[in-house]
Amino acid sequence: MNELERVVVVGASLAGTTVVDTLRRLGYAGSVTLIGAERHPAYNRPALSKGVVAGTDGLDDIVLPPPSGEVDQLIGTPAVALHADRKEVVLAGGDRIRYDGLVIATGARARRLADLGAADPGVQETTFRDLDDAHRLSALLATRPHVVIVGAGILGMELASACVDRGATVTVVDRQPPLLGQLGPYLADLLITAAARRRVRFAHHPGGVRLRGTSGPPAVELADGRRFAGDHVLSAVGCAAETGWLASSGLAGAHGLVVDTRCRVAPGIVAAGDVVAFPSAAGPRRTPWWHSALEQARTAARALLHGDDAPPLTPSPYFWTDQFGMRVRVAGLLPAAGRPAVVDGSLPDDEPWAGSALLRWPGRGVAAAVNRRIPIGRLRALAQLEPAGT
Amino acid sequence: MRVSVDRDRCEGYGLCAEEASHLMHLDDDGELVLDRAEVPPESSDAVEAAVRVCPVAALKVS
Ligand SMILES: Cc1cc2nc3c(=O)[nH]c(=O)nc-3n(C[C@H](O)[C@H](O)[C@H](O)COP(=O)(O)OP(=O)(O)OC[C@H]3O[C@@H](n4cnc5c(N)ncnc54)[C@H](O)[C@@H]3O)c2cc1C
Ligand code: SF4
Repeated sequence: MNELERVVVVGASLAGTTVVDTLRRLGYAGSVTLIGAERHPAYNRPALSKGVVAGTDGLDDIVLPPPSGEVDQLIGTPAVALHADRKEVVLAGGDRIRYDGLVIATGARARRLADLGAADPGVQETTFRDLDDAHRLSALLATRPHVVIVGAGILGMELASACVDRGATVTVVDRQPPLLGQLGPYLADLLITAAARRRVRFAHHPGGVRLRGTSGPPAVELADGRRFAGDHVLSAVGCAAETGWLASSGLAGAHGLVVDTRCRVAPGIVAAGDVVAFPSAAGPRRTPWWHSALEQARTAARALLHGDDAPPLTPSPYFWTDQFGMRVRVAGLLPAAGRPAVVDGSLPDDEPWAGSALLRWPGRGVAAAVNRRIPIGRLRALAQLEPAGT
Repeated sequence: MRVSVDRDRCEGYGLCAEEASHLMHLDDDGELVLDRAEVPPESSDAVEAAVRVCPVAALKVS
């Protein structure tokens, strides 16, 4: 076993702090340095598009306790480069931090339409990812504006929901129909019905979306020429692995930061969370969700300490979203094709928000709880039931 | 150190209990039960980890 005395963790959010916890729990007694770019202490990120924008949560409600045990924290100082050959991380101020073991947990950043070549040059583009973004949007909502959201995925829909809760009117524009690609037709319809009741308007066109205008708030244009202008325009078009600081290290390739099933990147280097592309039947895939970050962080800590003797990770996907008065939790791999069997409860087609149900997609390993509490373990067991076993 | 759960927030996910199974568990209805509110010093790390992994920030230590 290699001697590990100095562990450096880059990224001080869920994945990074969970790796630190797990290392200590496993008895690692060497030094730990936690490097984080944000100037805030770590907080619960999913709450941003829910309670924080809705105005019910402040930083105090969502802040995470500091990592346990002795940890040197360098908060508000981004890492700007990695020299893997010298085992050094370079910080923004020029300081170099030596490590024996490195944990990459830099998460993701909001993707921009500009990154996709779908914005006029110089256009002002606003995205949503961190606490500062959430405070900014929350302040803008005080005037009950009209908000145009580009992107009808999970984040775009949660933001739409939080905006209407604050009295804004919202239009959501996308290349694809809302949520279909992420959740599958049944769950997508459920949430669209709930959104329509709150008067959210939708528009989509397979030809795509473009952000136009070079001064003032931009307008959104669909490929068929329809234009959407609002007081504010917000892009919610997915996230991309935060690997910019690894550029010169050669570790992150076309598929992102690819790890093995023990979350290892290279000798002495592990990674976890939104930054990671994890092996799947369809090749390396990012699964930028809370539960994935947790299970990867625990795996990565073990692998750093025990190498090949650490158990590989078999992911057990778990996902949830809150929007338009609906709370959906899903165990298993999304999107879920077809109609589910209702195991318990009911969801009226015309007013699903009034019901609650446990759903199961037989043969697909997917189960969902809508507006209903159920421990993760039980939802997983339901997802895994064999079709013949019911 | 004391740990408390905000019942309005807690959604019964049970991720916290995976971190500190000797201090909390989910009952059959998915309600979180704190087996001891007063956290012994040797368990403070486990409890802080439990607080951190809760997806809806329902646990607090004081
Ligand atoms: C608005 C929003 C809502 C969400 N809602 C849900 C939900 O309902 N359900 C769900 O399952 N998941 C949700 N997620 C996803 C979930 O928040 C992430 O999966 C989780 O936060 C991943 O944790 P992480 O530690 O890998 O990455 P992050 O939380 O992204 O943290 C990475 C950290 O690394 C820091 N960092 C980046 N680069 C550097 C650098 N060079 N040097 C130092 N530090 C750096 C960043 O500042 C950041 O603090 C949501 C995400 C967002 C943005
Ligand atoms: S993880 Fe959070 S929501 Fe889940 S049972 Fe624990 S306190 Fe409740």
